[in-house]
Amino acid sequence: MKRIAAVTLGAALCLGAFPASVSADSADEMILFTWEGMFPQEVLDGFEEEYGIEIIYSNFDSDETMLEKLSMAQGGDYDLIIADDYILEEVVAQGLAQELDMDIITNFDNINPSYQGQVYDPEDAYTVPYGAGIPLIVYDPEQVDIEITGYSDLWDESLEDCIAITANYRVICGITQLSMGRSMNEEDPEVIAETGERLLELAPNIRLIQDDNTQDALLNGEASVAFLYTSQVTQVLAENPDLQVVYPEEGLGFGIMAGFVPSQAPNGEAAMKFINYILEPEVSAQCTNYIGYYCTNQAANDLVDENLVAPEGVTGEFVRTVSAEAEAAYSEAWTAFKAACD
Amino acid sequence: MEKDKKVPYIKRTSSRRKKPGSRSAVWMILPLYAFTLIFVAGPLLYVIALSFTKADGGYTINWSFTLENYTRILEPVYLQTFAQSFQLAFTSTLIICLVGYPFGYFMAKLPPGKKRAAMLFLMLPFWVNSLIRMYGWIILLQKKGVLNFILQKLGIIEKPLSILYSYPAIVVGMVYVLLPFMALSVYSSAEKMDWSLVEAARDLGASGFQAFWTVTFRLTMPGLLSGIILTFVPSMGLFFIADILGGNKIVLVGSLIQEQMTKGNNWPFAAALAVVLMALTTLLIVLYRRITHARELEGIG
Amino acid sequence: MKKKKFSFSGLYLGIVFAVMYLPVVVVVVFSFNESRLPVSFTGFSLKWYQALFADDDMLEALKNSLLLGVGSCALSAVIGTLGAVGLSRLNWKSKGIMEYISILPLMIPEIILGMVLMAFFYMLNLPFGMLTLLIGHTVFCVPYILMEVKARLAGMDPALEEAARDLGASGFRAFWDITLPLILPAVFSGSLLAFAMSLDDVVISIFINGPRVSTLPIKVYTQIKTGVTPEINALCTLMLGVILLALLFYALVKRLQRRRTGKHGRE
Repeated sequence: MKRIAAVTLGAALCLGAFPASVSADSADEMILFTWEGMFPQEVLDGFEEEYGIEIIYSNFDSDETMLEKLSMAQGGDYDLIIADDYILEEVVAQGLAQELDMDIITNFDNINPSYQGQVYDPEDAYTVPYGAGIPLIVYDPEQVDIEITGYSDLWDESLEDCIAITANYRVICGITQLSMGRSMNEEDPEVIAETGERLLELAPNIRLIQDDNTQDALLNGEASVAFLYTSQVTQVLAENPDLQVVYPEEGLGFGIMAGFVPSQAPNGEAAMKFINYILEPEVSAQCTNYIGYYCTNQAANDLVDENLVAPEGVTGEFVRTVSAEAEAAYSEAWTAFKAACD
Repeated sequence: MEKDKKVPYIKRTSSRRKKPGSRSAVWMILPLYAFTLIFVAGPLLYVIALSFTKADGGYTINWSFTLENYTRILEPVYLQTFAQSFQLAFTSTLIICLVGYPFGYFMAKLPPGKKRAAMLFLMLPFWVNSLIRMYGWIILLQKKGVLNFILQKLGIIEKPLSILYSYPAIVVGMVYVLLPFMALSVYSSAEKMDWSLVEAARDLGASGFQAFWTVTFRLTMPGLLSGIILTFVPSMGLFFIADILGGNKIVLVGSLIQEQMTKGNNWPFAAALAVVLMALTTLLIVLYRRITHARELEGIG
Repeated sequence: MKKKKFSFSGLYLGIVFAVMYLPVVVVVVFSFNESRLPVSFTGFSLKWYQALFADDDMLEALKNSLLLGVGSCALSAVIGTLGAVGLSRLNWKSKGIMEYISILPLMIPEIILGMVLMAFFYMLNLPFGMLTLLIGHTVFCVPYILMEVKARLAGMDPALEEAARDLGASGFRAFWDITLPLILPAVFSGSLLAFAMSLDDVVISIFINGPRVSTLPIKVYTQIKTGVTPEINALCTLMLGVILLALLFYALVKRLQRRRTGKHGRE
């Protein structure tokens, strides 16, 4: 017994001198910072082999965590970050991104122009789109009696306790506003209050609210209608092709994930090389098929799964950052809605 | 273990007023004091300060004093959130006590070899990532799931029960995750117990239940108390269970804070929620101790 | 829980253990599933194991998690145990409040603790990585050990230590020879809890890890954008397998030793 204690204490004392992580900044490595599972291993390996640069893949769970860590590091520590549109607006505004080096990124013209010149980067100086998403309604026609064509149908009485929705409140409030013929980014407190009331009417139909694996509910029969993110739509269709996908008639929500190089990136040049590498049509197609988002690389359109090329001319509205008061009003409407779902 | 058995046979030789080795005790306490002051009290003060600042909407903090965040909590929708969180925590803790106390108690009565095995088996599921264990529960509880299949085969129910995404599903998840905390606390308290006291009580004519109530239960009280704190307190914050098994339909303070920190970008409000949560939890624990007179029982000093 | 005589306690423990292991069984079964989604079993496949062995990052993350778990657990065992014993011997006025503050990390919502610790570590200019993770995990591991040891110390006969002191032992000596062996089971169970919490933490870790250090839960929870794959099921199944084999081996060796020496009972 004493021996165990001695060993424990000894080990603990040794750990007092716990090795701090090695922080040697070597020129032949690149720190990639994004969600897990955003790149197929072949692509990462391919780049490492071709350029002799080692990729260190680091992960965050949400855009906000990323921004927080990046601003604490004052634009350093990371070489390439891939994140969502609305946070990029903030990143660019805070001067945390550096301009792209077009001499290295020779494949820049491969990008589909429909995904360029967006609000977060009107001049395309800082970001390169990596994938686009359009949240859609998917339902099981065998279990649903009505034909769903838009968001308003979600309010139908026959869908009681049937609907699975994602958990981002700006998106859900946004589609409620679209169904009311408004913008997703209303700032007027009265309009938001109205949105909240309309949302409350949806509560009886809600079976679950979840961001992760929402599609599972559709497959295991817990829900018959679901409002899903693009990668979830792709996954659910792969599993059950009989499900019906709806491009809601009232208009679409829209999102782009894009990559940028932080202002103080230790090895920005490697990051530029990597951006150029993933813009190659074959590599881009590999990535797109792997993550299941819409292809933003027009040179790769013929190479990707046909479902992953967004129909011509389909665009939608971005969810954008709104004033603190509006944000608070949205969150309050959402909290009341969730409580009413019970 | 042999030393444990010697405990009751040594007679008290000196008065207990004078504490042994107070100088060495100072040294012992030093790491805890230093660590706590630096890494816990510091952050705590920061959170409290943050809760009085103004939300700016952007991603920066505006350091001007306001009580706005606290008055906002008084809105009915947020008060309800607090009420719901406490209700869920109470329900879960109660069930965990009812299941976990006997569990820890029975574990302590096992022979030494099995005792250790039981302890390891109790903690083994923790090696499996909690997220995928929750997915495991979904498979078990879903309409086309294992539980419904068995119940239907047995003819107990005709239509599949829809248990998922409901209050009971969250309670199941809570109990599942927190049970080991209660079981281990009760266990380590019951394990040191001097069973000869129970025998003595029985010899003096106490019934089995009486002996349990007057001797065993009282002596394992500190374990039960620390078990309750170790389950009640975390159950206020375990939002991911409400998220995965409850389908997010019950708003808990934990998930509200999470949402305010990330999607809402309102740190000051999140901090205020956290401060109120901590204050209320503390209050409850203090009340609980008063009521159970646990201070006396714990009374080391 | 095999027993010749029917015992209610054995039955009870058995049932609760069975329920506890149900989801674990599901996790194991689905590690062999063909489909990527944990919805229904579509066919037997070993592809997730193949994917796992090709995934160096995941294995590296596992190594980090184990290292971190053991490290923070050991560090907090020392701080928590010494602290609890020290508290029991002293009558300082600040005692109550310090005790309260040290269990506060249980009450501070994880995301806030994580964010604040990150800001704090930046202030101290600590290099982000294993060191910051170790400190952060120790912050929330200490309360578990402190609580467990405190509960065990409660009502313990102080005469024992006093006797040792009367016989000339120093305070540390008395602690080492008398108190520690008595509270060791609590240190052990507290450490198990702390280890489990450390092994599973993601919210705090994600804020305080460095770009080069990832842990297993971070790898799992950051898959939300594209969905969690059964690779993690495969990994957990393997971990369970290894532990079970080790336990079995240990039990076997014990049994052989016992047979050889002919002794019984004591371990």
